[in-house]
Amino acid sequence: MRRLRAWLIRVGGLFNKGLRDREFSAEMDSHLQFHIDDNLRAGMSPAQARREAMMKLGGLEQTKEAYRDRASLPILETFFQDLRFAVRMLHKNPGVTFVVVLTLALGVGANTAIFGLVNGVLLQRLPVPAPEQIVALVIQSSGSPLGALGFSYPQFAEFRQQTAPFCEVFGQALGRVNLVADGHTDVLAVSGVSSNYFSALGVQPGLGRLILPGEGERPGEPAILVLGYSYWQKRFGGDPGIIGKQVRVDGKPVTIVGVVPKEFRGQFSTFEMDAYLPLSSVYPGQSPNGFWSSRDLRLMLSLGRLKPGVTYPQAQSGFDVVSHRLAAQYPVTDKDVSVHVMDERLSRPIPYANNAFIMFSGLFLILAALVLLLACTNIANILMARASVRQREMAIRAALGGARARLVRQMLTETTLTALLGGISGVLLGAWLSRLIGAIHLSGFPLQLGFGFDWRVFAYALATVFFTALFAGLSPALRATRADVNTVLHQGGRTDASGAARHKVRGDLMAAQVAGSLMLLVVAGLFVRSLRAVEHMDLGFDPDQLLNVALDPSINNYDETQTKEFYRALEAKISALPGVQSASLASAVPIGYGRSKDSVYVEGGHVAPGQLAPGVFFNSVDPHYFETLRIPLLLGRAFADADSETSPRVAIINETMGKHFWPSENPIGKRFSITSDSGPFVEVVGVARDGKYRTLSEDSLPYFYLPLAQNFTPARTLQIRSSLPPHSLVPEIQGEILALDSNAPIVEIQTMRESLSGALGYFLFRLGASLAAAMGLLGLLLAVVGVYGVVSYAATQRTQELGIRMALGASPRQILALLLKQGVRLVAAGLLFGLAGAWALTRAMSFMLFGVSPSDPVTYIAAGALLSGITLLACWLPARRAMRVDPIVALRYE
Amino acid sequence: MSDNAGDKKDVWQGTLALMVLKTLQAMGPLHGYGVARRIEQTSGDLLAVNYGTLYPALLKLEQEGYISSEWGVSDKNRKAKYYKLTRAGRKQLSKEEHEWEQTTAILARFLAPGEGRS
Repeated sequence: MRRLRAWLIRVGGLFNKGLRDREFSAEMDSHLQFHIDDNLRAGMSPAQARREAMMKLGGLEQTKEAYRDRASLPILETFFQDLRFAVRMLHKNPGVTFVVVLTLALGVGANTAIFGLVNGVLLQRLPVPAPEQIVALVIQSSGSPLGALGFSYPQFAEFRQQTAPFCEVFGQALGRVNLVADGHTDVLAVSGVSSNYFSALGVQPGLGRLILPGEGERPGEPAILVLGYSYWQKRFGGDPGIIGKQVRVDGKPVTIVGVVPKEFRGQFSTFEMDAYLPLSSVYPGQSPNGFWSSRDLRLMLSLGRLKPGVTYPQAQSGFDVVSHRLAAQYPVTDKDVSVHVMDERLSRPIPYANNAFIMFSGLFLILAALVLLLACTNIANILMARASVRQREMAIRAALGGARARLVRQMLTETTLTALLGGISGVLLGAWLSRLIGAIHLSGFPLQLGFGFDWRVFAYALATVFFTALFAGLSPALRATRADVNTVLHQGGRTDASGAARHKVRGDLMAAQVAGSLMLLVVAGLFVRSLRAVEHMDLGFDPDQLLNVALDPSINNYDETQTKEFYRALEAKISALPGVQSASLASAVPIGYGRSKDSVYVEGGHVAPGQLAPGVFFNSVDPHYFETLRIPLLLGRAFADADSETSPRVAIINETMGKHFWPSENPIGKRFSITSDSGPFVEVVGVARDGKYRTLSEDSLPYFYLPLAQNFTPARTLQIRSSLPPHSLVPEIQGEILALDSNAPIVEIQTMRESLSGALGYFLFRLGASLAAAMGLLGLLLAVVGVYGVVSYAATQRTQELGIRMALGASPRQILALLLKQGVRLVAAGLLFGLAGAWALTRAMSFMLFGVSPSDPVTYIAAGALLSGITLLACWLPARRAMRVDPIVALRYE
Repeated sequence: MSDNAGDKKDVWQGTLALMVLKTLQAMGPLHGYGVARRIEQTSGDLLAVNYGTLYPALLKLEQEGYISSEWGVSDKNRKAKYYKLTRAGRKQLSKEEHEWEQTTAILARFLAPGEGRS
């Protein structure tokens, strides 16, 4: 305590130096006077008395120095001196300061932005009490990739019950629903949550109440809804009177009972849920093959909250016991099923434990680090150039008694100050950049790329700043202060004549820059080429000039007959509009969210007992579908109006399904069932070309189509192929729909291209490509500035030498070759190392790329050519300037 | 510790604070010169060091809150800075006195038989 008090007073002592010094002088004066008085009294002469008193007191200056040191903190005091000096130096060279700060701001900004995103998406825990207890429960069946399936509800309930002593299991099924309120329809991303979801997470209501334990896990309970905060703000203007309001969800009345708090966005860090419903409100029906009883419908994503003190291994062995028990009990469905207990953050963005996101983050952090390295190299170059200018100053200061450590410290203070300035600008820039990325809006998907601006981001930014200060500042500082005063002062103002070593360092830095920049360019190039491949890939249908109008008459309580009549009338009217080439209805859109899957039982091919029939995705479409989407039929026919409810049931399959079920046979005329081994069967009447159905990166997938007339679904998408720009048709189409029903049951209108830009489509490819391209360009810019700086500095340094050479008869061409030779050698070395580095870096990238190999030669060659072209230009410009210098001027230089 | 000068200095610095506190307790408020003279007189020649070294020690004690200072006027009408013990200083003094007595008692017992032998 006493020490702390003394220390604080000493810190305070930094600020009242003048007063303190005056007071101490007065005290010394009074001390001497007392002593002289005494001596006089003892009989000395005045001169003798004074002399004796002075001697007894000791060296006055030493005393003052000792007193001063004690009065304040010498370390801090010199630090403040350094700081004042540093501020003066920065102020004196505003140009240099600006360039350094700007360079660093770019480097730190890129890092902060990327790290901020990674932090928000991957590192920050859920905003709930004791988040470290939350684990992801990732279920795996042997043979299927980790996380590729969820829990069936019975399975979920059994795990929850049997692991209750050490872990509270809770979960949700993701879904999309229509919500109609005040005559307006929205498509919502919702969580159908288990009754203990909010209680286990520990989330408190933001308004009203949440879903309560024991609520909503029996079909038939009254339907309720809890709103997500953002959706509540956006859709209802944050109206607190919303509690108790009746809305319609998928056509059924639902009561809003509460709103979650602002900070809770659902369990996913990449998107915010619009609403939460109890499972019974999402799955109101009870059927033997339905959600509540089927062990084969694996829709639940589960988390758990470990009881305090339970470790991961303990929890894991507990889950293993239950897994084995269930496998023995339900051999058909639960055989080989295991549950992995893992940190919830490792299972992001969704509990797919394929580490894709972690790899992505890692790659982009490496890219950002490369950018920072390039920035640092530039700064080191600038500082080194300045260090040689200041070598004289340093040598003189050293000659006057400045200790080397003290001089290094002072130069590092300068660098750190600059780095801090750059760092602050960088953090601001980074915050702005990631706000920009975070503001990306996707229609139909509540994307939420939060910028987790917390201590981690600050710590990261601070670490980058100090890394820069040390990396860029230490070497120049050491060099500048190593100088021998004699040598420096004898050089007559010419700096660093013997600077071969320094040139070497600068050359190495330049080569490193070229290498780093090439790595960035290659990664950017691969991403961009991958995006181009995706955008131009064959989807199996023609996505241009196509408008999708999602409709759901069940919103307006239509029964089946009314629905059919509505669609029939609508399709007829739309087809007749000018500019419409063809229009068709389908229950799902390719690369969209709606999808159906059913088991396929091939006629005659019995499913062995203990085996499950394979599940295949399908779509229900009308006769014009293949014409509208331009999906070629390879065999057989399209659906016709004659395929009605009463006619024999038919199906069209894709090539892959044909090869899978009837290899080396013509599938036309074959029959299969989606209900059971014994039918009813549908007959294959056509084979369509393969396409993309669920995601862009999927491998070819078995798929089939049923006629809408034989497989009724109320929610359909009207797809319109037009010779006009699709958007220009929207008002007319809306008019036609309104004419049929003034409560237009429109869910969403967008072009197929817009739909493809969504989260399942191009979005991630575009995000990756733009981020990588931005960093590639930044790297290129930094490298060019760096190379230009090094070469032009070297040229200036050699002005005198070049003058002599010219005076002795060297031709301009020889001078140019002399200067270029060094640059070319360094660029070539940099390119070589860069190629090796890029090759190593891109090994892990193959799963992020589409249609392009990580070793794609075109990318490597293009990046190398671009970089060498630009850097050689950056070498050539200063070399040419040096070549044109008048020998007389050059010899007089300095 | 190896040379004599170092020895003397260490003793001086380690015990100076205690001597200052004791002097102020015995004499009441006193200026720096007075404290120096008093310590010199009491200790004899043993601690005849520059008076100047006293002042950083006084400052340290003041920073630690054991003494306080105030400008005043001496009986001969000279301005001087007077130091006096604070309550914390009195407590610290009795504590250090006690510790010091203990240390010397232990050392005395420790050294006694050795003296007899030599």
